[in-house]
Amino acid sequence: MSSEQNLSADVVIVGSGVAGSSIANELARAGISVIVLEAGPRVDRQHFVENFRNLENKPSYQGPFPAVPWALHPPDQQTPNEYLHTSGPDAEAYQQVYLRMMGGTTWHWAGCAWRYLPSDFELKTRYGQGRDWALKYDDLEPFYYQAEAMMGVCGPDPLVEDLGSPRKQPYPMEALPISYAAQQFRKLITEKTPWRVVHEPQARNTRPYDRRPTCEGHNNCMPICPIGAMYNGSYSVYDAEAAGATFVPNAVVYKIERDSANKRVTAVHYFDPDKGSHRVTGKYFVIAAHCIETAKLLLVSADEQSPDGIANSSGHVGRNMMDHTGVQVTFISGDDAWWPGRGPLETNVIDNFRDGPWRNERGAYLVHMVDDNQVDLATQLAISKGYVGRELEEQIRYLASHTVRLFSHNEGLADPDNRLTLNKTRKDVLGIPHPDVYYKLPDYTVRSCEHTRDVFRQLIGLMHGTDEQWTPGYFPQDHPAGSTIMGVDPKDSVVDGHCRSHDHDNLFIASSSVFSSVGTGNITLTVAALALRVADTLKKELVHA
Amino acid sequence: MRKDRDCQSLSLWQLSPNAMRLSRLLRISRRDSLLTGMSAALLGGVAHARAQDQHSASMQTTDHSEILSQFMAVSRRLTDRDTLDQRIGAALCNGILHGNADRQALIQALYTLLTKENFASASDYARAAETQDKAFKDVIHEIMTGWYRGVADGKVVVYRSALMFDITKDAVYPKTYATGGPFYWTTRPPDVARPVGQPALSPSKFVVEPT
Repeated sequence: MSSEQNLSADVVIVGSGVAGSSIANELARAGISVIVLEAGPRVDRQHFVENFRNLENKPSYQGPFPAVPWALHPPDQQTPNEYLHTSGPDAEAYQQVYLRMMGGTTWHWAGCAWRYLPSDFELKTRYGQGRDWALKYDDLEPFYYQAEAMMGVCGPDPLVEDLGSPRKQPYPMEALPISYAAQQFRKLITEKTPWRVVHEPQARNTRPYDRRPTCEGHNNCMPICPIGAMYNGSYSVYDAEAAGATFVPNAVVYKIERDSANKRVTAVHYFDPDKGSHRVTGKYFVIAAHCIETAKLLLVSADEQSPDGIANSSGHVGRNMMDHTGVQVTFISGDDAWWPGRGPLETNVIDNFRDGPWRNERGAYLVHMVDDNQVDLATQLAISKGYVGRELEEQIRYLASHTVRLFSHNEGLADPDNRLTLNKTRKDVLGIPHPDVYYKLPDYTVRSCEHTRDVFRQLIGLMHGTDEQWTPGYFPQDHPAGSTIMGVDPKDSVVDGHCRSHDHDNLFIASSSVFSSVGTGNITLTVAALALRVADTLKKELVHA
Repeated sequence: MRKDRDCQSLSLWQLSPNAMRLSRLLRISRRDSLLTGMSAALLGGVAHARAQDQHSASMQTTDHSEILSQFMAVSRRLTDRDTLDQRIGAALCNGILHGNADRQALIQALYTLLTKENFASASDYARAAETQDKAFKDVIHEIMTGWYRGVADGKVVVYRSALMFDITKDAVYPKTYATGGPFYWTTRPPDVARPVGQPALSPSKFVVEPT
């Protein structure tokens, strides 16, 4: 089947998450015509809030967000998985979750908005590990601020609490006051260890900002902020539409068409849910479809001109899959009641392990004391211990007020053998193959995780902890990166420092897939900053044209 | 261009369009039945479970109000509470009976045990029950899970009204329902003394899942 009408715009963007929607917004505001093709449906917040309240397994972050058959996403982090199939020695450590719907995966994130450190961009040069980016921190600094202003990021005064990423302007909003639990954690760390606890920069309102309300501490940033005090990609969608951009939901791009010289992209083709095919032409194209789906699309589009996939003369599309691997422990503190779960989910971190000379041997990481409401967990635990009646109620109160959970974001490393490919047999209803990922944790990351376990054991001791339960093995933190890696050499990278394909002059990629290293802290702010830099490049080129 | 398609509710995309519409209505009625106290939830809820449970032949001959009455009496003893919401109880009983065909007989047997002795506490009662028959342990877990977590048969019956939130409301809010105002979280919550009570039942395996 083919479309009755062809669509066309100056810039065609695939994906409506933070990256795609923020580029669309910038371009539309500059008077440039934009079409954004989103594989999933339009969605609304209250629908997800209701789904969450009716969900038995509340910690399931994917639970409130059912996929549609034409735009599947992983239903959970279980291996084997119905959609994202992982294999290899550490298959379970790469069982990522993400969302395919208007606004993207930031429907469920904790709003942690870290800038990377300057050293994160120069891992090879400084520490002899992994790869350097094809840009420096200073290249991205103005776009970091632009992204912070767009999202509404709150953070500490750098003169009081320097987070290590030089700033030319203060955070758009003052830091979020941390909870009583976080205050006690900070006091403990300050008094009993050589480390420190800092405010986590967050895309969350500490005052009314950009038409969104102040955070009221519903403790449900993940999976869904009920009031919109936390930024997500849907706000950039709304802004972009108001500025004139066109968003097409349920448009599953499956083919990237190029000119006869295979140097420029001329169109993308998408299926609607009934498998009607549509062609969309443009002058420039941006693939902003999340790390996994971006690589999948480039591989799916393979044809006679590009038998290994689009933008893949290097053979690196789908390789170098990275993530922040997690170590997690839950235990019962023997000290006073902290009552975690009052306020936002993630507000504070130990940041001493984000950088140091030891990065020549082991990966960096940061440590969260999770400020998660533990009442449900405490109830399940107390029932499983065999309590009933009044004794059960006393146990629930005690466990809910004394449960402490620590987890880490440990740095992955680019390894070409960690690779995304297309499943040969499993396909969605449109006939598009599911993604497969082979994953073996780099030794660099394993050593980092072992260091984390030692630190956690020290912290458990300081809190007189008991009943410690370590989450088995390693688990994914859903920050996939590297599948269309950035570099200066077209022979071993997919895009250049401006996120432009080495192979196709008018094709850009805006995603964590371009990351050359993954640093520590949530990847979203860096994704947004890179996307805004892509928008800046496109504006300059289109205006000059 | 094709018509926009909105995201469907939880797992409903697997159903036919008519079933999806029906399911939406059912979903609303499930919530509203508790919130507005529709009398159908009280007795009809158990009847609904019965109708769906094709494995439980004994259900065909039992008075609905009788099993609910027994369930409530057992629940009051197991929670050490004099009063419990009967509308919620009906929905929980409905779910527990629906989830397992042998639960009706076990609840009836638990009730019989309750009437034989004057148990001073939930712990005494639960301890005696497990001593009499190890099979009681699972159904007691389900009753506790129902009242305290608001969950029966793997489904949420009530969220905000689950007893676990009632007993912690001086410190925390159910997620998505905070009403303390901005920055309420900076204040000191109440301290909690280490409990001295002992478990009544033998422990069960419980694994903390990743977030």
